[in-house]
Amino acid sequence: MEAFFQALLGGLVLGLIYVAIAVGLTIIFGTLRLVNFAHGAFYAIGAYVGLVIAQRIGVGWAFVAAPIAVALFAVLLDRLVLRSFYDKEPTAQLLVTFGIALVVEETLRLIFGATTQQYRMPEALQGSVTLGPITYPAYRLLFAGGVIVMLALVWLFIERTNYGLIVRAGIRDRVMVQLLGGNIRQASTIVFALGAAIAGLVGAAATPIYSIDPGTGFAFLVPSFVVVVVGGLGSFWGAVLGGLLIGELQSLTNLAYAPASNVVIYLCMALVLLLRPQGLLGESEVIRQ
Amino acid sequence: MLWADVRFTVLCALGIAAFPFLLHPLGGYSTLATQIAIVSIASIAFNLLLGYAGTLSYGHAMFYGGGGYIAAILVMRAMPQHPNLWLAVAGATVGTAILAVLVGAVTVRLYGIYFALLTLAFAQMVFFIVEQAKDWTNGDDGLQALPNALLPIGPWNIDLTTHLPTINLGPFGDLGELRLWYIFAGICLLLVLILFRMLTRSQFGEVLGAIRENEQRSTLIGFNAAGYRLAAFAISGGLTGFAGALRGLFDGTVPVDSLSIDRSGSFVIYTVVGGVQTLFGPVAGTAVIMFLENVLSAKTPAWRLIEGLIFVGVIVFLPRGLATVLKQQRDKNPRGLFVRSLRPSTEEPDPLLKPTGEGRRSGPMSIIETFKLGKLFGHFAANRDIDFRVDPGELRAVIGPNGAGKTTFFNLLAGTIAPNSGTINYKGRDVSRVSGTQRVHLGIAKAFQTASLYPDQSVRQNCRLAALARVQGPFALQVFRRSMRLDDVDALAERAMDRLELTGVADVRAGDLSHGDKKRLDIAIALATQPQILLLDEPIAGMSKDEARKTETLIRKLSTEMTVLIIEHDMEMVMGISDSITVLHQGTVLATGTPAEIRDNPRVQEAYLGGHSEAELAH
Amino acid sequence: MSAPPSVPAAVTTRLRLDGINTYYGDSHVLRDVSLHIGAGETVALLGRNGVGKTTTLKSIVGWQKPRSGSVTLDGTELVGRDMMSIARMGVSLVPEERRIFTNLTVAENLKIAQVTARKPGWTLEHVYEKFPRLRERLTHKGDEISGGEKQMLAIARALLQDVKVLLLDEPTEGLAPLIVREVENVIREIKAAGITTLLVEQNLYSALSVADRCYIIDQGEIKFEGTPQQVRDDAALRQRYLHV
Repeated sequence: MEAFFQALLGGLVLGLIYVAIAVGLTIIFGTLRLVNFAHGAFYAIGAYVGLVIAQRIGVGWAFVAAPIAVALFAVLLDRLVLRSFYDKEPTAQLLVTFGIALVVEETLRLIFGATTQQYRMPEALQGSVTLGPITYPAYRLLFAGGVIVMLALVWLFIERTNYGLIVRAGIRDRVMVQLLGGNIRQASTIVFALGAAIAGLVGAAATPIYSIDPGTGFAFLVPSFVVVVVGGLGSFWGAVLGGLLIGELQSLTNLAYAPASNVVIYLCMALVLLLRPQGLLGESEVIRQ
Repeated sequence: MLWADVRFTVLCALGIAAFPFLLHPLGGYSTLATQIAIVSIASIAFNLLLGYAGTLSYGHAMFYGGGGYIAAILVMRAMPQHPNLWLAVAGATVGTAILAVLVGAVTVRLYGIYFALLTLAFAQMVFFIVEQAKDWTNGDDGLQALPNALLPIGPWNIDLTTHLPTINLGPFGDLGELRLWYIFAGICLLLVLILFRMLTRSQFGEVLGAIRENEQRSTLIGFNAAGYRLAAFAISGGLTGFAGALRGLFDGTVPVDSLSIDRSGSFVIYTVVGGVQTLFGPVAGTAVIMFLENVLSAKTPAWRLIEGLIFVGVIVFLPRGLATVLKQQRDKNPRGLFVRSLRPSTEEPDPLLKPTGEGRRSGPMSIIETFKLGKLFGHFAANRDIDFRVDPGELRAVIGPNGAGKTTFFNLLAGTIAPNSGTINYKGRDVSRVSGTQRVHLGIAKAFQTASLYPDQSVRQNCRLAALARVQGPFALQVFRRSMRLDDVDALAERAMDRLELTGVADVRAGDLSHGDKKRLDIAIALATQPQILLLDEPIAGMSKDEARKTETLIRKLSTEMTVLIIEHDMEMVMGISDSITVLHQGTVLATGTPAEIRDNPRVQEAYLGGHSEAELAH
Repeated sequence: MSAPPSVPAAVTTRLRLDGINTYYGDSHVLRDVSLHIGAGETVALLGRNGVGKTTTLKSIVGWQKPRSGSVTLDGTELVGRDMMSIARMGVSLVPEERRIFTNLTVAENLKIAQVTARKPGWTLEHVYEKFPRLRERLTHKGDEISGGEKQMLAIARALLQDVKVLLLDEPTEGLAPLIVREVENVIREIKAAGITTLLVEQNLYSALSVADRCYIIDQGEIKFEGTPQQVRDDAALRQRYLHV
């Protein structure tokens, strides 16, 4: 029974990482119509920036520097390369962002080496918390809480702020936003930077739990895409639902029959694509213009 | 065989023969040439999908690794005493082709990222199954130390590991270590190149290209697009398995990595770097990248970064190499992440106007008839309770204010969308559930509101494709024969062009036509399918007055030979040309009658004039 | 009925189009279109389907860029500017399909117009007063309201901003007769409020009843400029270009 609860909590933590990456993917797709295979690279860059800052300056600063650095990188990438791919066919977007992911991964490998790395949390956070029948590392719980708070803030930003209003309107109809004088480009840049920053922050925060190597970004990206497809491309709650579902599915399968944990998510995606191609919470026709 | 074919074969053979001599001085080790030749075959196969069918598979490792595993298991288990290379490779090819048919059956209806992710998902499942079936596959360690399979040809049992004579390359030293394997792999590559050259020029390649260029049009001239894509997927999968088997037997080992995501990605890189939609692109890309991987990796740790930069550089700066992928943005109906249906306006019906179905009683004579036909888009009833009936030979106009549901109604008749309720009878047969492609073969053809053409093809070829579908049926696996020599196809196409007065521009690229000619070509394409009912959605919209008159006359002539249904806003034309008129309003039939009856119908005036009577006009 | 419309003798020109040529790909849609609208005037642009009415509006707001010619707002050139900045200068298009954000509520649809406005126009109270039905529908999603309500909402969005020129594209299209009357009343109110309006209509009677002046466009060219009375009186003109 304890193992079950452990797996359940583990699935939550893993699922929240997926959610965080998938939310970025999905809002970027929703507003920019960009299929971003380089999103895992944002996670990896965040993790390495976090690693360096945490080891040299302090863990607190890592959580500040990682999202900022990744957001800046994302804006640069957007301006230099991706902008000209917005109108293009998804396959072209897939290819170019896949290439960028490759370049980032190899650059990280050159700089940091191929070995798996980790930084340690301050003593205060290294303990464990006992919750009823189970004991769980305190940092993991803190991490889960932090991601939930962050997602809530993102949701509030999208649902309750003026910028969020423009973003949501732009998801439906970019032309009409401009006809009303809305600055859709600025909103797009903010969304892109925001999505990247989330991935970067989660990368930095998850490194003490999952450690990092240059391939980690891509390793998280593929399940996150599965999450987005399962939940429904372009849907915030779809990403949340899909992420938790996939995280738990993977974690519980790992408990029941470990070798199947890597394939069950694909099975899940294949089923969803065949039975409900728009995803669990996706709309069948999201696109206009 | 033509001279061009001989020249192609000789040049390819010379290139393949010369390749090791080129590679050696650059520092490539001896087995690399053979490996490149083998992997090139897989890249060519991959390109059949990415370049020619226009879909990105991110799971080709399942065929490549799958072929390797099947061949390895065959030589290790089925024939450990006398491993036969022919049998092993044939088994792998057939096995992976079957796998491709199974996977393709569920994936080919998806597009873009969904297709890529679903193929990836299947590849991961294959990876998992192979990894877990340890008794057969040795799990993570892969299958190693395969017995040397011999190649029986006639009375001889050829050992491909036999060394070729050492050749002295002067200052570059000796080219030794080259085995008979290279000659065998080279011959295979040569044959695959010849095969693919034929395939891409065959009728099959022609139709596959048409589907890539405009799937909407292709299905509505009667091609089974899913069938063609499935066939392409099966051929691609089987050939990739063939290459995987060769590689495994050559290396003597099949690592589990041959099934990995990275392996799938490598085919993408090879093909894109080399240039999609070209015959030699994948070969060149494979050679360059594999050379870098093996030679550069010894010199610098940054080799994979260089590879990545080359890849991104090609995509961003050499879009020509990516012609197929990037070109599609011009399509009227891009195959995007979502299969976008033509959106009707999202008006909700105002409940003030009650439907008054005035459809006549059904009689024995109707050619097409609908009963209580309805279509919902979400909550919005674009069409509801449409009773409609047309007699053979009639020219019926369907009119109504914008948003009345006219285009939706035509799409229901043509079968591009399925009704939520009601039935459609065509010549007494219920065709409500028959696909649009099948309906074309039954005799229902449609010209689109926005001309749906193959912009990169000539006017003649546009019509020929439609005629080809009529003559050859929805699916024909003609992978060798070209369509050039089909006289009946040419005759149909010529006649269609002639009828729409397009013969003068027969060799012009369709994308370069004037607006009016494009609209007429769209009708000619529909005509080339030899329809019995022609659906024309606003045929003269946007035309100049002269063009409109000319088109009107042409339509009038067509209507003497077949039933014509026309949506049109130009009242002058509608009143002049039609035998009868059906008025749609708010998704349902408001009135049906002769032009004179419709003109005088007060309900119609109300719908059109927004409730103002003629008297009000005079104040 | 209403007094005969008259053209004020010396109105300042608010919006002027001069020799506009617009293409879709290689199709020449607008040919040397010139027209002008005085401050406070309501001008109708009439014509059949597909003759270039909507394209004219798109060319004004930068949605479709003209290849040549000029569009000026109070003397300032608009051609070359993007849609956002033209909108922020006070040129407000209420497009043909209304383009309500169907994923937002009615209240949010109104809010976004306020958020994106450079200067505020009507207050929300004023809008609710003129469009009482919107107030009842505030919490409904954009796809849960009727066609007439959508049209009201689309116009209300424009009026919440400081509008210098209001461009209405077929505001009565696809609406039931009773609703058409309501929309016509709204347009009269807008006119009474002194807002400069270019009204594109297929519905001749609707347009003639409210316009001060009108233009007729056919095959991408302006064929007629005059008063509604002239159009009413000239059956041949109506028959030739409008087929009614």
